[in-house]
Amino acid sequence: MRTPRTTIRRKLILAIMLTSTTALALAGTALTIHEVTSLRALLARELATRAAILAANSTAALAFQNPEDASQVLAGLRTDPSIVAAALYDARGGVFATYPMGASAPLVPAAAGAMGNRLERASLLVSRPVMEGNRRLGSLFLRSDLRALDERVRAQVMAILVAVLGSMGVALALSAWLQGGIAQPVRILAETAKAVLDRKDYSVRARAVSDDELGVLAEGFNDMLAEIQRRDAELEQRVADRTAALEASNKELEAFSYSVSHDLRAPLRAIDGFSKALLEDCGDKLDQVGTKHLDRVRTATRQMGQLIDDLLNLARISRAELRRERFDLGAVGKEIAAELKRAQPEREGVQFVIAEGMTVVADTQLLRVVLDNLLRNAWKFTAKHPTARIELGQHRDNGHRVFFVTDDGAGFDMAHANLLFAPFQRLHRQSDFEGTGVGLATVQRIIHRHGGQLWADGAVERGASFSFTLSEVKS
Amino acid sequence: MDLLRRLLLGLTLSIAVLCAEGGAAGAEGRMTREYDLKAIFLFQFAHFVNWPASTFPDTLTPITIGVLGNDPFGAGLDEVVAGETVGARKLVVRRFRTVEQVDSCHVLFICASEAGRLEHIHAKLMGRSVLTVGETKDFAARYGIVGFDVQRNRLKLRINVAAADSAKLTISSKLLRQAELVASKG
Repeated sequence: MRTPRTTIRRKLILAIMLTSTTALALAGTALTIHEVTSLRALLARELATRAAILAANSTAALAFQNPEDASQVLAGLRTDPSIVAAALYDARGGVFATYPMGASAPLVPAAAGAMGNRLERASLLVSRPVMEGNRRLGSLFLRSDLRALDERVRAQVMAILVAVLGSMGVALALSAWLQGGIAQPVRILAETAKAVLDRKDYSVRARAVSDDELGVLAEGFNDMLAEIQRRDAELEQRVADRTAALEASNKELEAFSYSVSHDLRAPLRAIDGFSKALLEDCGDKLDQVGTKHLDRVRTATRQMGQLIDDLLNLARISRAELRRERFDLGAVGKEIAAELKRAQPEREGVQFVIAEGMTVVADTQLLRVVLDNLLRNAWKFTAKHPTARIELGQHRDNGHRVFFVTDDGAGFDMAHANLLFAPFQRLHRQSDFEGTGVGLATVQRIIHRHGGQLWADGAVERGASFSFTLSEVKS
Repeated sequence: MDLLRRLLLGLTLSIAVLCAEGGAAGAEGRMTREYDLKAIFLFQFAHFVNWPASTFPDTLTPITIGVLGNDPFGAGLDEVVAGETVGARKLVVRRFRTVEQVDSCHVLFICASEAGRLEHIHAKLMGRSVLTVGETKDFAARYGIVGFDVQRNRLKLRINVAAADSAKLTISSKLLRQAELVASKG
């Protein structure tokens, strides 16, 4: 199970922070714009009110042409430092009074201009008519310094900025706290899954720590583990039951075949012994046909004895414990070849080719049985050829060592290859080649007990090749 | 002081005569300008003074500006007033020969020609809500409510608040700010 590159915790915090920061930035921007515009509007309103009061207060001064009084009215602006200049114009637009006294262009226009509000660099300019009733007596001009406003805007923006940063801090703390509700259960679930996979321990359970979908997920996960555990237990129980049943029936079968084989020996010995006694004691009373019949009885008895020996061997091989040790397969092969040649020295045309360095770790006694069977088969099935070549060797296939015994004898039809290793199945007539049909079954059982495979290739009169592998066990 | 002024005025006049037509025109122009200003002031009073409701029979009754004596304005006052209104009220100019003729009037300008009859006029108008305006010295203090006074080429106002009160007139503080306030004498 791979380790995640990024964590849900980080993703959640990122998502929350991105959302809240965007919202805060937008809100902060909107708030700032609103503050600036509303402050400007407020200033414009304040200025308009002030202008209205000034205009009302200066009507009589204009009506009765009293610039001194007008100057005094304007001098009242001293209380507001944001107003840097003001002027009153008479009905013809000429300067009537100024603030501060003697102010002139460009601080105040030399003649009355257009009415209304105007922004000029860092100043807000207000011009409005001075009316008495519906009579226009003149006009008023005010110049307000916006630097004070800018100062207020800066202060507001700073306050908003501090609020946004503070909110981000709180959002970070909150997101770190809130993500626990999601990331923690997921992390626990992931750790549990990892623990289950790493230790193959299905008794582990995820702690259920949330009451949402993640809690349901954890519960489902636990239920799945419980189900797996239950099935494992069930399977184990079933395997144990089957194994026990199989072992029991196997034991019974082995005991049966052993006792049958063993019990068959006694009557066979009697038949053989009395046949021999009959030939020795009453041979002179028998004619040639009788003697021949008795010979055949004795041959059949010997074959049956061999069959019983083979069956007992097969049963013993199935039961015997494997005792693995390191030895050279070739050395064993050479011993057997020598044995075969000694038994039939007249077969001088048979050539044995046995490879060097075939060291294996296996049960020496059982592998000797294997080689004995395979080499003896090769020896047997080349008997009808004047010359023969029998090879024991090895080669590598897919990294596995494959051992083989090849001859150029009678061979077999590949169509019947599946019958080769079944007990008592023979591909050749007894009269052509002697045998009990147990040998290759024994070989197969030994190879299987070593965890290997056994197979055969061949063609009629073109020889046969038997290959086997052994599970490589470190000694 | 007064003597000096008359002397100066006389000197100016003689210079004007000496300077023939151009000079005469200059003096006349100066006088005309003074009375144009006074006409405007008379008109402006209508905006800054409140009369009791009883002086107006209905809401459309015009505000009357009267001229008592030899009219020095010529057409000047009529021109200033023409087409003007205070609220819904129009302004009309009426001329009176004697104080007995003065019936309905809100602002009454008493010309220099009446200087000898001021006592009589004052007594006649006593108790009536008429804003009397004169141009003789001490007019506001002795015979009326508002006095014009030309100082250094500028038209100044003197107002007798006590006289205005007894005439049941309310003068706007804005107007009072423009004037020198005087108390009644004699």
